[in-house]
Amino acid sequence: MKKTLSSYFKVLPLLLLFALSQPLSAQTVQVSGTVLSAEDGQPLPSVTVREKGTNNGMTTDLDGKYRLQVSNNQAVLVFSFVGFVTQEVLVGNQTTINVTLSPNVSELGEIVVVGYGSQEQKDITSSISTVKSEEIAKVPTAQAMQALQGKVPGLQIVSSGAPGAAPTVRVRGVGSLEGNAAPLYVVDGMFFNSIDFLNTSDIASISVLKDASASAIYGVRASNGVILIETKSGSYNKPAEIVYNGYYGIQTAQNVLKVANAQQFTNYALATGSSADAAFIDNALQRFGRSRIDPNIPNVNTDWYGEVMESYAPQQNHTLSVNGGSDNTRYSLGVSYFKQDGLMKFTRNEYERVNLRSKIDYDVSENFRVGGNINISNGTQYVGENSVWFKSFFAVPILPVYDDLNTAASPNRFGNAQVLGYRGSQNPLFDLYYNDNRNKINKFLANFYAELDIIPETLKFRTAYNYSFSQVNSRNLNFDFNDGVTERVSSINRSHATSFNQISDNYLTFNKQFAGKHNVTAVAGYSYRSETSEGVFAGGTELFPSPSRLNEELWYISLTQTRDETAYGDYGSKLYGSSYFSRLAYNFDDRYLLYGTYRRDGNNKFQQKWGDFFTVGAGWVLTEEDFFDVSAVDFLKVRGGWGQLGNDGVAASVGEPTIDQRFVAIDGERVSGNVVIPTFDYVDRWETTEELNIGVSARMFNERLSVEADYFQRDTKDASVTIILPLIRSNVRRSAGSFRNEGFELALNWSDEIGDVRYSVGGNLATLNNEVLSLGGPQYLDAGSAEFRQRSIIGQPLQAFFGYETDGIFQNQSDIDNYGYTSEFVTDSGIEPGDYKFKDQNQDGVIDDQDRVVLGSYLPTLTYGFNFAVSYMNFDLSADFQGMSGHSILNRKRGEIIFTTDTNIDAELAENLWTGEGTSNKYPSAAGLRKGWNQSMSDYFVEDGSYFRIQNIRLSYNLINQTVLGTEIPETRITFTAEKPLTLFNYNGFNPEVANGIDRQTYPIPAVYTLGLNIKF
Amino acid sequence: MNKLQYFKSLFALSLTLVFATACDDSLDDPLEGQVLVEGTDYTLTENMPLLRIGAYDLLYDLQWETFPIISVRGDDVNPAGDQFPLTETDQFRYDRSFWMYNSTWLNFYDDIIKWHGAMEEIAKYQANAANPAEGDQYIAEIKVMIGWELLQLSRLWGDILIPTSSQTDDLYTTPVSSQQEVMQHISDLMDEAAPLLASIRPNQRTDIKGGITKYTALAVKAMANLEMKNYQGVADATGEIISSGAFELYNDYYELFKVPGKLSNESLLEFQYSDFGQSSGNAEYYLHQFFGPNNWTPAVAGSGAGWGFWEPSMKYIKFMLDRNETVRLETSVLFTREGIEMIQSDPNYTNLPAFVSNTTRDGDVIGRTDAQPNPRAKFSSGKHYLPSNQLTTGRVRYGENKNVLVIRYSEILLMHAEALVSGATSSAMSAVDAVNEVRGRAGLTDLATVTLDDVLNEKFAEFGLEWGIRFYDVVRNGRTTELNRDGRTFGTDDQYLPYPLAQLDLLTQLSDN
Repeated sequence: MKKTLSSYFKVLPLLLLFALSQPLSAQTVQVSGTVLSAEDGQPLPSVTVREKGTNNGMTTDLDGKYRLQVSNNQAVLVFSFVGFVTQEVLVGNQTTINVTLSPNVSELGEIVVVGYGSQEQKDITSSISTVKSEEIAKVPTAQAMQALQGKVPGLQIVSSGAPGAAPTVRVRGVGSLEGNAAPLYVVDGMFFNSIDFLNTSDIASISVLKDASASAIYGVRASNGVILIETKSGSYNKPAEIVYNGYYGIQTAQNVLKVANAQQFTNYALATGSSADAAFIDNALQRFGRSRIDPNIPNVNTDWYGEVMESYAPQQNHTLSVNGGSDNTRYSLGVSYFKQDGLMKFTRNEYERVNLRSKIDYDVSENFRVGGNINISNGTQYVGENSVWFKSFFAVPILPVYDDLNTAASPNRFGNAQVLGYRGSQNPLFDLYYNDNRNKINKFLANFYAELDIIPETLKFRTAYNYSFSQVNSRNLNFDFNDGVTERVSSINRSHATSFNQISDNYLTFNKQFAGKHNVTAVAGYSYRSETSEGVFAGGTELFPSPSRLNEELWYISLTQTRDETAYGDYGSKLYGSSYFSRLAYNFDDRYLLYGTYRRDGNNKFQQKWGDFFTVGAGWVLTEEDFFDVSAVDFLKVRGGWGQLGNDGVAASVGEPTIDQRFVAIDGERVSGNVVIPTFDYVDRWETTEELNIGVSARMFNERLSVEADYFQRDTKDASVTIILPLIRSNVRRSAGSFRNEGFELALNWSDEIGDVRYSVGGNLATLNNEVLSLGGPQYLDAGSAEFRQRSIIGQPLQAFFGYETDGIFQNQSDIDNYGYTSEFVTDSGIEPGDYKFKDQNQDGVIDDQDRVVLGSYLPTLTYGFNFAVSYMNFDLSADFQGMSGHSILNRKRGEIIFTTDTNIDAELAENLWTGEGTSNKYPSAAGLRKGWNQSMSDYFVEDGSYFRIQNIRLSYNLINQTVLGTEIPETRITFTAEKPLTLFNYNGFNPEVANGIDRQTYPIPAVYTLGLNIKF
Repeated sequence: MNKLQYFKSLFALSLTLVFATACDDSLDDPLEGQVLVEGTDYTLTENMPLLRIGAYDLLYDLQWETFPIISVRGDDVNPAGDQFPLTETDQFRYDRSFWMYNSTWLNFYDDIIKWHGAMEEIAKYQANAANPAEGDQYIAEIKVMIGWELLQLSRLWGDILIPTSSQTDDLYTTPVSSQQEVMQHISDLMDEAAPLLASIRPNQRTDIKGGITKYTALAVKAMANLEMKNYQGVADATGEIISSGAFELYNDYYELFKVPGKLSNESLLEFQYSDFGQSSGNAEYYLHQFFGPNNWTPAVAGSGAGWGFWEPSMKYIKFMLDRNETVRLETSVLFTREGIEMIQSDPNYTNLPAFVSNTTRDGDVIGRTDAQPNPRAKFSSGKHYLPSNQLTTGRVRYGENKNVLVIRYSEILLMHAEALVSGATSSAMSAVDAVNEVRGRAGLTDLATVTLDDVLNEKFAEFGLEWGIRFYDVVRNGRTTELNRDGRTFGTDDQYLPYPLAQLDLLTQLSDN
């Protein structure tokens, strides 16, 4: 789009110059000519030809011809037609002006993929955002969805740093509490829950169907939004083009959290007043000696994050593809390799993936087409123990990595905190060295179609069969070792999961224009879906021979001495879906748009078998109206839609009591028994969503500015909610929730050029208001753990953090006495200076459960992104920024002290603890940290999660028609990319991207710097 | 006309193409892999005993925090670890949001609800059973389990809810029962159960060795009546157990708590765990690590240490030394070198018996061997100690394959004595004989007469570190000044824990406790 538009703009100054050089004249002039399409050279009927600044105009006839009387030879003719670039021509001395209009590849004429077909952007009444391959390829990642972060308003992406892990994706908030509320991904017609297996360079486009009216044709699968992915195709009549696209880069951890060093930790531990902690320090002093700088500090100062984390880890991706076609065939073939090393040292922690694909379309005859598409993905993921991040935070800095005195430890003499008296071994190197976790992930996706024109250009039948097969083969091995205190035996667990899904679609598409102005497209069809999955798992202990990294060929359960019966098992599921669907799109003269879909979905998952999903939409293109005459506005459409969606992504339930098998030791014999689980889930239906969307699309200033604005209100009913039962350690799920997500989305883009410099600036923002509407009776439902309560309260966000509001720190006794608590309460609770002031919300003089309030939600209320791109000569520079705010993170790392007191704390906390009157009004005293009073769930643990990030900076240099040593070199682009180089936030953690808002051990999100090469042979 | 015909058939053809694959039959397929209670064939009565085994699994499966919450407040023990809820509770400072309170509450109630589920299912089998009395016995066993856990709940929280079915919906309106009502309910429940249970020792059972018998029911009845101060009820129940002649004290007090003492003739209720004699793999295990010393040099190298969270109090140790206790002190307390020095720092205790050593009779060295301080427990619980030389070869977890004794015959004898000195009468045995039988096994000389003080002291010595017996003795008899030590002050309202916040949020009838 940029190119075509800009080439047009290039001509403008020339035209103006030409206009000025002409003598003035007052005579009317007769002009005539033919308008042709640049696409196929054919005449274009219905093109509006108008004298600029007047109402004088007409449209071209069927042969593309026009004849117009203009006021004088200074008049400018404006040729406009929807879907083509508007052209202006100064009449001057010409009497015949033939014009060739180029198709407008701006979004307006662009074909947008919708469910079971496509529509032109200008005809769309719903909210759909499409991201093209160039934008996706900009981001060095294995995860295509990661590339959309900050680009689509209303789409929240929460990155995941672990190699091979998919980001969390949310479309317009959270309408379901299950399955991460993940959207449905439709890859060339096949349904997936994740597209983590796709190579980003193989994707032609990703369309996010945001509102119900767009996604309702996917019925019961559509409630969390639908994301359509088209893989790349070849082109007809194009010689084979071989393209290499690749990069090599490094990842480096960002915003590494500072934890207390030996000095800070020792001061803190001693200040707690705990004799046990003082004894640990004393033991460390004796064992490791005294620091030369401060003799009261042990002579060890381990920076655990530094010890476990690579300063950089490589990442690379290489894609080779061949695309082309003859007049009746087009093809695209590709092979790609991706490898990402993790940030953990000393352990296998990486992701490697090889993808193969081919896509072929063949015209058997003029009215019959067939095609197919195969995509094979083979991935191997080595998962580092996530507990390493946890332990690196908590391990005391006075413990060395290696401890030569720990002679009982083998094969490595790692330091063990138990030797100093601590409860756990703490050292994360045990977790890095003594296990190996591998997942082999194979996915196979194929689809074949045949398309028959029953009535050419009017009625078309399409049948498609989509098939996906995937298997995940995982093997987790623990090596035998001695940590100096305890001997650990080796063990191995394996699991094998396969899933086989198929979808068969058959549908008719009817497309006709009646009486020149009534355009009708109708689709009706049937789809059958089956999803079968099954798996087995098994394990054993004490491998013989003893496993090591050198004898991987011997890592088999068959070689274990003891089989762990509890580690054996299998499972399976079979789900079927049967769907009838139809779509009707009507427009009158491209001015009034009507749209509707209907889907009837049946399934075997729920007691409720069948459901109907409707949607209606309408649009009005004001710029097509005669009365509309604002020259700055090229295109203006108001649109609205309402629809119903379902979410069958909630786990099915049996709806009655079940029986669990248990084992008991009776006189040394292992005896099996049954336990009745009297509580049960009762989720007998899918979740239903109704959504209203109202939007405006506009193009202004000769399409330099594009505006898309949407307001939506999405209500989910029958949502599966988890109810905590009294007295029993059991939660049950019921279809009882009703939630609302409501928001406003705005996307603006401006592109233009100044001289040789082409540029574009864009921005988007989305607001989100998430609210519980009803819970089927109760006023609230508790979630989260008992210590870190989350509560869904009617009128408040889902699973909001819930607890006391702090009001500073008690500085002295009179501060305590005068705060408003009763003296009895003060005595009973043992409040001391250095403890938190909790707001007595109901002013009854005591702090109790009645004083708890909502402290925040994990869902951002504002997400935004902006970008700019500049091109000059052979250089392209682009930068993307994104951020979000209004959400909270539960700093669970700080909360861990409730369960284990003697571990390390973060440096910010250690440095700013209350140590006496006036020292801190934010953090309690060291001793206070360990008191139940201060450990109550409060906003001390709930922090602002807002962040702003420089998402991507990319500089490219293009080599076109260049010769090196006399040979013409192929079209080449060299690119330097900095991905996520800077993130700004106040949260006291590693990483402000925490999907569920609870930060216990998140993988750091690295910055990635890559050098890329793109060559077209 | 022809054209219309053409379009009609074209349309029909198209629809046929579209719907040819339609297949709605598969939508009636059931979900895979779920065993439903509804699908149970109750004529297969051979499956009925499985429910009873499942009930024992619930009973034995006690999460680690339950035991310390029951017993931490006694003057026999200190929580040496870093668990704030335990150290605070030990100081009689309670916070309703302590996670251990909610967890302990749920550990018991969860069992009780599921036991009701099991009883309801057994009743359905009984209709088809050749011998329905078999089902009655199973239900009676489960009632004893319910009684014992309700007793623990009510001792901790006083007034509580008594669930009557497996359906949790009723709980929102179930009224709170006073402690007196709960104890009476337990006593009645035991009266229902006892006649249906065999009049034998648990270790005489052949179907479930170590399982519940009539005497277990009577023991729980006695405990409930003791809490109600219905001393005659205590004397009658304990008297019946004593008169049966089925039980005897295990002669070796030290080994009673170790592998040789498993399922002895002294045991009325015992939680069973095992490693099944295998070096690795399946094991049923109670988390004894909690009690174990966090530093030791085991006789069998590589055997795992504990957490150092459970420390006999100095008061208890000195109490035992003052009484010239031998095997009971040696069995109850593991000493570290540092701990011994602490005892000796008191000039009255400079000369200690030889068994007060940091090396146990099985050769495990407790605590650090260098001159460094032991960070947590200076003493550890010997009642929860399994010598490393009793571990199955290959097993390294502290206390693996060790059972947990719950109700011992000596407790029956001493409850009997307590009831008699408190005014009850019994022909089964006199108070002084009961006390002397316990003393005899401990190697102590007979007393001529006994007072309540003597009985309570004997219980202190005999049951130190076991199930909070000491704490509830002291509270019940109004001797809470015993609990005021090392800065602790037991207040008038400190007997019961506050209801857990998570439960208050769910059950509005629980007012502040």
